[in-house]
Amino acid sequence: MKEECKKNFERISEYLDGELNHNVCQHIEEHLKTCPECRSCVDALKKTVDLCKKSAREEIPRDMQNRLRSKLMECFGKREPSRESESSLT
Amino acid sequence: MTDHHLIAQFKEGSMKAMEAIVDRYENRIFTFGLKMCGQLQDAEDITQDTFLNAFRYLNSFREETKLKNWLFKIAATACIRKRRKKKCEPDRELSLESFMNKDGTFETYDIPDWSDDPSDKVLQAEMKAVINNAIKTLPHKYKLVFNLRDTEGFSTKETADILGISIESVKTRLHRARLALREKISHSYSEGKIL
Repeated sequence: MKEECKKNFERISEYLDGELNHNVCQHIEEHLKTCPECRSCVDALKKTVDLCKKSAREEIPRDMQNRLRSKLMECFGKREPSRESESSLT
Repeated sequence: MTDHHLIAQFKEGSMKAMEAIVDRYENRIFTFGLKMCGQLQDAEDITQDTFLNAFRYLNSFREETKLKNWLFKIAATACIRKRRKKKCEPDRELSLESFMNKDGTFETYDIPDWSDDPSDKVLQAEMKAVINNAIKTLPHKYKLVFNLRDTEGFSTKETADILGISIESVKTRLHRARLALREKISHSYSEGKIL
């Protein structure tokens, strides 16, 4: 592995996250134009990050939601008198 | 209504403000718990612990950080505590060299694209399962950083503050976590686990 490729390999994430300064980015981009291996490496990592981000969100199941609210009511329902008339969490 | 207003109302005793805070953050805390522990029961415990501790101490919360960041700090601590209780094996290190070929070449990885087409629900479910399984195999400290940065979208600095580690550590762990995931996802793809 060429020293240049190794150096870039270590910084791909920072490059993708825009955390490198302009000069370093430019240097990497120049290298990517002539190195298909590094290009493919960057593309695969970018796709991995995009895929993980897009598949990220989960929703808490209804029964867990209800148990969470019951627990919170049990623990905090008798706090200092509220200024509001409503005090239900459900 | 902003978090600041909700916190102020909670401090005045409003239960509706507590409900609004839970509504706003429960899915995110649950997602984090699930991605960290991989089990529904554990994710529920993490979610409950996080909100119980948050509301227990919210009166003394001085808003030096965002409410969201504070909640995730509590959630991350809950995850670490849960892992300690389970007496898991020590975290293994992911070395950068392990992702490089010794003969001076890079491995080529084929990564599928995410489909936004609603008719691709089966494909999306398959991909999600593969990704979640891959995340599950990450060592705990890498998983913490990955989930905060790439799943929750915290910045490098925010992640460092939440976990109490250096910015450099966040960058190193994130990069290695991503490389490990690239490898796992690509292998699952080539094995036909994603059609």
